[in-house]
Amino acid sequence: MSALDPVPVPEPDEHEDLRSTFHHELDEIREAIAKLSAGVTEAIPRATEILLTQDLEGAEYMILGDDEVDAKSLELEERCYAVLALQSPVARDLRQVVSALRIIAEVERSADLAVNICKAARRIYGHRLDPRLRGIVQKMGDQAQKIFKEATECYLTSDAVRAAALDDMDSYLDDLQRQFVQGIFESHSGDKVELQVAVQLAVVARFYERIGDHAVNIGERVRYLVTGWVPEHAGAARFATRAAASDLE
Amino acid sequence: MSSVSDTSAAPVEIAVAENAGQAQANGPNVFETRDLAVFYDDFRAVREVNLDIRQHEITAFIGPSGCGKSTVLRCFDRMNDLIDGARVEGTVSYHGVDLYGPDVDAVEVRRRIGMVFQKPNPFPKSIYDNLAFGPRLNGIKKKAQLDEIVEQSLHRAALWDEVKSRLKASAMGLSGGQQQRLCIARCIAVKPEVILMDEPCSALDPIATSRIEELMQEIKTDYTIIIVTHNMQQAARVSDRTAFFTTEVNPESDRRTGRLVEYNPTSKIFSNPDDERTEQYVTGRFG
Repeated sequence: MSALDPVPVPEPDEHEDLRSTFHHELDEIREAIAKLSAGVTEAIPRATEILLTQDLEGAEYMILGDDEVDAKSLELEERCYAVLALQSPVARDLRQVVSALRIIAEVERSADLAVNICKAARRIYGHRLDPRLRGIVQKMGDQAQKIFKEATECYLTSDAVRAAALDDMDSYLDDLQRQFVQGIFESHSGDKVELQVAVQLAVVARFYERIGDHAVNIGERVRYLVTGWVPEHAGAARFATRAAASDLE
Repeated sequence: MSSVSDTSAAPVEIAVAENAGQAQANGPNVFETRDLAVFYDDFRAVREVNLDIRQHEITAFIGPSGCGKSTVLRCFDRMNDLIDGARVEGTVSYHGVDLYGPDVDAVEVRRRIGMVFQKPNPFPKSIYDNLAFGPRLNGIKKKAQLDEIVEQSLHRAALWDEVKSRLKASAMGLSGGQQQRLCIARCIAVKPEVILMDEPCSALDPIATSRIEELMQEIKTDYTIIIVTHNMQQAARVSDRTAFFTTEVNPESDRRTGRLVEYNPTSKIFSNPDDERTEQYVTGRFG
């Protein structure tokens, strides 16, 4: 039993926000996380370029820059803890803080992956890349950036509908990764790429693919903060059904 | 299980057997209200309340002032009978029996359904006499039996250790928090089935409040508790289910009437409520 009958929603003058300072802090935290996430979105094409142009200086710059992302993530995480400790958030406010904590971790990890691409660029320095592989790396970089940008915007605008589409965008990135790994095998067997380079490239493909996964996770948290639902509920329901069925036997 | 509950098995001979079949996963319904409305003369204070109160659960009523939560609470022990001009429409059933039926004795109702008020209201008597008052009214005369009830009730209300050496001292000498626990003990002493609490902690400091909240958790295994509270965190901390009431302007009379908006498990109300108005209220976006 819940919403019983349609009752007129209170008139606008009753929509006074009694906790405006607290809600302002929640908005600020969300905006700061979105900003950090936008920074990661920009780091992805930069990492791709560094990889493809073998830009050692750029790689160094990106690797050092990760400390700033770590510092900002930590600061935002602590702001969330302060809100939890001091404001006792409930309902949507609680979902906002809990989602923020999860999303910070996704963004921070994605920044690490962009840095890992730069580290891989250093490891394969001096080796030429097969043009076909270069093409797929470029596509993976573009798609990872696109997904991450979309996830960031979904979060900033609390758009659960757009967030639900991220999973499908990620499928394309997964396809590219498979194509890329296949391409590595072919290049390697045609003696166009050395084993050590091939392994590094396979790992790089994995980094892009993981960035896409983190963007999907951000989308799931956006859906949670808007609707209270996460996709894991579907799996949990299946598990409960199986558990109930096995009880009966 | 304490002996209080053993001896308190009696209250509900009314219709437990018939109700047992409908028992839900979380225990049978103690109260069911259907289209409940309460009027003070021609003013309709609250309307269309449909609620099932489950046994051995703590149910919290929250909502802004004037939303009818205390009014609905008072329907459960027919305290509204004592207010001139108050009138109840719809039904309130207690274990399937219409509480407002012609054969129901309001005094008997209040024996089974105890109430704890906002301000502690001990009688200006000794601690012992406060607790023995109800049982004596119920005809218990033997000192040994009264002693036992007094001790058990004080134990149950987590007050025994603090007052055991001064049972003959005036209850008025206790602190506010102790007085409120004494009132809960006095309520328990007559072995009710339900305890209604109307903002029981609003006159208490945080430590006394925590004691009462702990006490509620301890005694809910034996009692069904309904609490009206202005403190949303308290509702979140102590209750199993929460009913959110609000007020709406009545188009005909331009006066405000209370309505039940949402009744759900407390964890749902405070994490992901179904109704937008509940969300606005619990997050402070609606004053």
